[in-house]
Amino acid sequence: MKGLRFLLSRAFQGLLVMLGVSALVFFALFLTGDPAALMMSPDASQAEIEAFRRAMGFDDPIWLQYLRFLGNLLQGDLGLSLRYQRPAMDLLSERLPATALLALSALVWSSAIGLVLGIVSAVRKNSGLDFVIRVIALLGQAVPVFWLALLMILFFSLHLRWLPSSGMGGWQHLVMPSLALGAYYVSAMTRLVRASLIEVLGQNYIRTARAKGLGQWRIVVRHGLRNALIPVITVQGMYFAALLGGALVTEIVFAWPGIGRLAVEAIQNRDFPVVQAVVLFTAAVFVVTNFLVDVAYTWLNPRIRL
Amino acid sequence: MRLLSALTLGIVLAVPVVPAFGQDTGLVVGRSVSTNAMDPGFMREAATIVDNIFDTLVMRDDQMNLVPGLATEWRAVDDLTWEFKLREGVAFHNGESFDAEAVKFTIDRVLDPQANSPAISYIRTIASVEVVDPLTVRVTTAEPDPLLPTRMSRYPAYIVPPDYLAEVGDAHFASNPVGTGAYRFVEFVPDERVVLEANEEYWRGKPTLDVVTWRPIPDSTARITALVTGEVDLIEDVPVDLAPMLTASPDVELVQVKNGGLTIYLGLRMDKEPLDDVRVRRALDHAIDRQAITDNLLQGMATPVGSQVGESDFGYLDLPVPAYDPELSRQLLAEAGYADGFEITMQSSSRYMKNNEVAQAIAQQFSDVGIRVNQQVLEWSVYTQKQPFDGPIYMLGWGSTQTLDADAAVYAIMRSGEPYSGANLPELDELLDESRRIVDPAAREQVLHQVQQLAAEEVPLISLYREDALLGRASDVRFEGRPDARIVLFDITRD
Repeated sequence: MKGLRFLLSRAFQGLLVMLGVSALVFFALFLTGDPAALMMSPDASQAEIEAFRRAMGFDDPIWLQYLRFLGNLLQGDLGLSLRYQRPAMDLLSERLPATALLALSALVWSSAIGLVLGIVSAVRKNSGLDFVIRVIALLGQAVPVFWLALLMILFFSLHLRWLPSSGMGGWQHLVMPSLALGAYYVSAMTRLVRASLIEVLGQNYIRTARAKGLGQWRIVVRHGLRNALIPVITVQGMYFAALLGGALVTEIVFAWPGIGRLAVEAIQNRDFPVVQAVVLFTAAVFVVTNFLVDVAYTWLNPRIRL
Repeated sequence: MRLLSALTLGIVLAVPVVPAFGQDTGLVVGRSVSTNAMDPGFMREAATIVDNIFDTLVMRDDQMNLVPGLATEWRAVDDLTWEFKLREGVAFHNGESFDAEAVKFTIDRVLDPQANSPAISYIRTIASVEVVDPLTVRVTTAEPDPLLPTRMSRYPAYIVPPDYLAEVGDAHFASNPVGTGAYRFVEFVPDERVVLEANEEYWRGKPTLDVVTWRPIPDSTARITALVTGEVDLIEDVPVDLAPMLTASPDVELVQVKNGGLTIYLGLRMDKEPLDDVRVRRALDHAIDRQAITDNLLQGMATPVGSQVGESDFGYLDLPVPAYDPELSRQLLAEAGYADGFEITMQSSSRYMKNNEVAQAIAQQFSDVGIRVNQQVLEWSVYTQKQPFDGPIYMLGWGSTQTLDADAAVYAIMRSGEPYSGANLPELDELLDESRRIVDPAAREQVLHQVQQLAAEEVPLISLYREDALLGRASDVRFEGRPDARIVLFDITRD
């Protein structure tokens, strides 16, 4: 009962956040200026630009435009992309599979490797192996993704000719984008698991478990990891949400046809409806993921009750 | 980012390269931008792909002469009326036949005010189109328009099939275009590829390349790598700094289309002090060392100019490049009452070849004559949405590639009141307007010469240099590039 109330209040908070985000994306974009001039050809006359502005409804009072925007949003309609002349939602959903594939693959390999490295590093704390892993983790977080991506293209595509340099197609096309995107997360995951596990392994109940004569592996996995994973899951949830919102740099460099690239092109062309669709979608993913993380918490750690 | 690119480039050039993958009979073109829609009447992007699916009544050969296209001949019946005789026996890719009705339909749908075509300005002089018989159309303009045949040689005047459009609607047409061109549309996957195949029935004969795939690859390094590895055979938009990647590889060639790019200039807000004084404008003009900029910063990939009009444009006047003369600049400034110089803002945006670096160099050269420049670099979509530009000095690129006529090169940026213009010279306005009313080519050329002469004296803006267009091709692709920046697949062959 208490758990249910907690989840309901969380869901309500999520809705509030979405309303706030909708207002933010709407006003922020409109405050930056007028898209009519940009959408028309450079030698269009002032009169032609005016006519276009009226036709697109850009000359109405801004609050009226916002109400219209909200009303349409509730019906899942974010309007036509100014540039593509197609529903913004369609453009987004067309690119979702590519982004989801990239995000999932990056998350899966980086979580798996990060978990293993983190455990090894924590259990062998202060050993040579721990040191090597920590240096790798530091590098992974420090190297900018665009540089890593370019280096991989130059090395694996240009010199070794092992992998296609860009685009989407077979599994070969997925390797480099997934590696580049996951590099940051594998490092973050490793460091987080290590820190969290070291802390847990120092707790009294672990000492008790050892005193009971349980095996090292059993202690780490059964007693240590389950408790160490709580902060990891929070962070992991945020990572996944961030990844699903589109990997801007990775998608551009590898010409990956996903949401991130759509977003960048929409921003460059001041394509309001598409930018709004991407931001709202990303916010929604964050809110839903946060909610799921909360659910996972109550299951993993019965002490958490707000 | 630049520094890191240069570093990676260094690593690459140090390592030998393995030969390319096997080639096929078709062609893959790597573009820097994605294709959104392929309706030639409503383009919001370069018409590079559309150019190959559709035909216009009038075409340009590789020497940029106007030659018969879907029209076999045309003439001015009177000052306001042009008559086009149409080619017989031409069919659209879906079998629908091409005739005068299709021409009228094409123009009318763009001119329809309800349709809000972003390209309407290109043909706005047209008042009406009249079908005389199935193979004859008459186009009437509201005022004399000497450029009408030119307007008929580019989008939005690509002829579209009326029956097909009526059947499928505009939205479907934009992603499934049907034209009369050398290539028929096969497949469009947004952000991934557009596939075209040869139109075997093409009225100019069967094209050489069977299948052509256009792939958007936004990142320059990735695009060049794709060319070097043989994943693509031709690429657009090679940045100056990465051109060595092409010249270093034995399998690919750099295609440098001389003067194929835009003319970069400094716009001047003549309504703001001190730019309202012609002596100040001249002082700025002579304070810039154009040759040093094109030689050193742009590595010879651009040519200094003294006019906005290009050599291949109709009405071109060969004017000398303003001399680099800081002494003269200081003297002019002193005459204008600015012996101690002044402070001014100069705006630019990353859009053209290294133009922010160029702006920095110019700011430096201005400071040599006592002008202190506040340099502002703005994001492109922010920069262009405000017209007139804040300036008072702003860097822009302008071109006439679409019409190859002096009018396109100067009118919109020198006529007062035009959105992109910061100029304000009544005498120049008069000449510009007059040039638009004269149909006789010789008389018109005379007026266009006067326009350039006056602009050189009054300096309503400062022309800097004309960029080359840089492309890359696989060694076996025969492609030299065109001044109008089109990629005409019909003219490309492979060894």
